[in-house]
Amino acid sequence: MSAATDHSAPQIQPYRTGLRPEILGLIIFLVSEAALFGAFFMYYANLRVLNGIVWPGEFDIPAEATSINTLILVLSSFTCEFALLSLYKRKNGAVFAWLLATFILGAIFLGLQVEEYRIVGFTPQDEATGAIFFTLTGLHGVHVFIGLVLLLLGMIRALAGRWSPERHSGLLAISIYWHFVDIVWVLLFTVVYCLPSS
Amino acid sequence: MTAVLKPTLARCLWVAPAFAALAILITVAARSIFGMTPVLQESTLLTVAYIAGGIGFIVGIGGFDYWFTWMKGGELDPNDHSQHGARSWGDYFKFNTDHKVIGIQYIVFTFIMFLVGGMFAEVFRSELARPGQQVLTDQQYSGLISQHGVIMIFVFMVPVFAGIGNYVIPLMIGAADMAFPRLNALSFWLLPVAAFTLLSSFMFGSFDGGWTGYPTLSEQSGYGMTLYQLGIQLAGASSIATAVNFLVTIITMRAPGMTLFRMPLLVWANLATSALVVAATPFIAGAQFMAMFDREMGTHFFTVAGGGDTLVYQHIFWFYSHPAVYIMILPGFGIISEVIATHARKPVFGYRAVAFSSAGIAILGFAVWAHHMFASGMEPWLRVPIMLSTLLIAIPTGIKIFSWLGTMWGGVLRMTTANLFAIGFIFTFVIGGLSGVMLAVVPFDVSITNSYFIVAHFHYVLFGGSIMTIYAGFYHWFPKVTGRMYNEVVGRWHFWITFVAMNITFFPMHYQGLVGMPRRVADYAPEFAWSNMVISLAAFVLGASTLIFVYNMIHSARHGKKAGANPWGGLTLEWLLSSPPPIFNFPATPRVIGGPYRYGEEGAKHAIVPEVEPATVETTV
Ligand code: HEM
Ligand SMILES: [Cu+2]
Repeated sequence: MSAATDHSAPQIQPYRTGLRPEILGLIIFLVSEAALFGAFFMYYANLRVLNGIVWPGEFDIPAEATSINTLILVLSSFTCEFALLSLYKRKNGAVFAWLLATFILGAIFLGLQVEEYRIVGFTPQDEATGAIFFTLTGLHGVHVFIGLVLLLLGMIRALAGRWSPERHSGLLAISIYWHFVDIVWVLLFTVVYCLPSS
Repeated sequence: MTAVLKPTLARCLWVAPAFAALAILITVAARSIFGMTPVLQESTLLTVAYIAGGIGFIVGIGGFDYWFTWMKGGELDPNDHSQHGARSWGDYFKFNTDHKVIGIQYIVFTFIMFLVGGMFAEVFRSELARPGQQVLTDQQYSGLISQHGVIMIFVFMVPVFAGIGNYVIPLMIGAADMAFPRLNALSFWLLPVAAFTLLSSFMFGSFDGGWTGYPTLSEQSGYGMTLYQLGIQLAGASSIATAVNFLVTIITMRAPGMTLFRMPLLVWANLATSALVVAATPFIAGAQFMAMFDREMGTHFFTVAGGGDTLVYQHIFWFYSHPAVYIMILPGFGIISEVIATHARKPVFGYRAVAFSSAGIAILGFAVWAHHMFASGMEPWLRVPIMLSTLLIAIPTGIKIFSWLGTMWGGVLRMTTANLFAIGFIFTFVIGGLSGVMLAVVPFDVSITNSYFIVAHFHYVLFGGSIMTIYAGFYHWFPKVTGRMYNEVVGRWHFWITFVAMNITFFPMHYQGLVGMPRRVADYAPEFAWSNMVISLAAFVLGASTLIFVYNMIHSARHGKKAGANPWGGLTLEWLLSSPPPIFNFPATPRVIGGPYRYGEEGAKHAIVPEVEPATVETTV
């Protein structure tokens, strides 16, 4: 089944260049990520609304301490955006610096979350409430971790001088992903930490 | 020697075990450092070995080579086509980025899985041929029916449509390839990993929760159940990646002039299906994650004793799995529209209505999941709304059936095998749709739930529906893919034997269910002896008919008579290319100048490909 003729000048490029395929692809992928979180939120909602359990049961979730952590993550969304803006102004050093700042903020967030796991006083094996608390925050934590890896790769490419206003979709993708992780966290924080049981 | 270092299957043979071994070592080390007992927890070690081995397989075949370069900050050549196209047989066993090669890889692999799943069915049908138990123990019986369902759904039905789409869609929209060729290859190579994970569970006594894997049964089963949960995750990841790819391809890579309403209906169907996959598949992933945590980590998502809720698994599972039944039939609807329009030489009747009904089904499909739970003890207030939405979804489905009938009406039908399967499909699918509407009615459903009536319903929609469309598609595009014609006489035999045997196999199950024969049980009351014998005999004939098809495909691909570019006189873009198409598809950017189904108009064209034929005067639809 070999092909009949071989055309030596192929163009595997989109015809509709208004939409960058990799960014569109990322956004569609994030829809599916949102649905994955949706499955766990669905479980959580079922537990609280239909089964009417008192959240978080006999456990204590440190909402105040975590609100500071939330601010840190929100801040990192801004630093990430500044990296992109610096790129458009062709300030390559600033790109690296802002990415580094984002990375550090993200790492602090993740570290504090892990610390929280240590001090909350219950485990994933304690009741369904413990299971869903750790799974929701853990799934988000995994996403932060992946984001950190991506930021690291972004920094490596920044050092190698691979970003430019003309070739920036990788960096744009990283920042969109990072904003997504941030938005999911704000939602998660509101629903899981702040929504009181009535 | 170099073959074990280059990205080949040979490299997989050592990389995958190496990854698995490394993962086991790390886990053992971690467990002993953190003082977890026992250090050699067998199920944990197996699970990490499976996950790491799967990743190792993809690394071995070369799935990540390109991304490794990117990660190291290396320079990438966007026009590097070294992995594109098949120049010899060996290229079909490699990580290949050509959508045509991937399409064939998908189709051949999933069809082999179809044969495997079919073999399982033949084995448990021989058990069911007579009352009492002769061949299988209860445990083996449950294991086989579960494997049968899971293999058929997750590694045949869902991905085979991805295969057909892969081959045909880029050609139909005038593109050189899919938007992300490497991601495309990656999604394919995830499938063998998924299939291996599922099938190798036989080493641990298979899994026995049916294809649905409900807790609490799934919490108590042997280790095979974990592999079921893992295998579904892998197949799901593969289908999400493909769906993202299809969406981006269809949105950004249509040839100039191909507006939304000039897209062939198969493209529309794939657009709707892919949207469903992207939005729905993560729910089954979520459900399986939780069930797996319960099993492997001792959480209490679904154990009532630990404050969990068993029923919510079913909600999340069906929130995916009802849309999934449309994932398994919408592309088939698209195929039928192509086949019937081409072979009836008529424009599709109600083109826009059909396009919109695909979108309508995709949206409504999210609002009917709980019709699988009428008898589950779920919240009673959900019943009536779900019943109404389920009845409603029959409307867009009906629109399509009227469109096919209207398209054929007054047309000069060419009774090729492809068209026979399309017409046979309409007949059997209507039966399946009718039993579906019956099941939507709560009191009826509650009285026959878990009986053979359900089995009859979903085999009429899946075998009588999806598989008939798949055969129609195979025959329709066979000349395009191989450059040769299949044997029409053998094809007709295949159709008639399949069609008759299928109806004899599945129709009596309606009756068995109404009279009260329960599904998923290896034995039955003596009064069902006669009907079960008939069913089993027909099932063996049905299985044998598949071999006729396999013979026809293999023999004709090598010795069939030459097909030429356009044996059916089709207007859509794939027929404007040679058969098989050139490695990079179109020699120049094609231009679309009219609708795709302008059959019967004198000299009408859908598109022109410069260099293949001279430009003609542009007309509008
Ligand atoms: C007119 C459209 C349809 C309607 C109204 C409908 C309705 C239903 C209902 C109410 C059930 C649940 C029965 C029960 O478990 O008690 C069911 C089961 C099922 N349907 Fe359909 N259906 C339709 C089309 C389809 C299609 C197109 C497919 C696949 C291609 C399909 C595949 C299935 C499967 C696999 C099951 C059984 C699931 C199990 O194992 O419990 N259905 N259908
Ligand atoms: Cu359904």
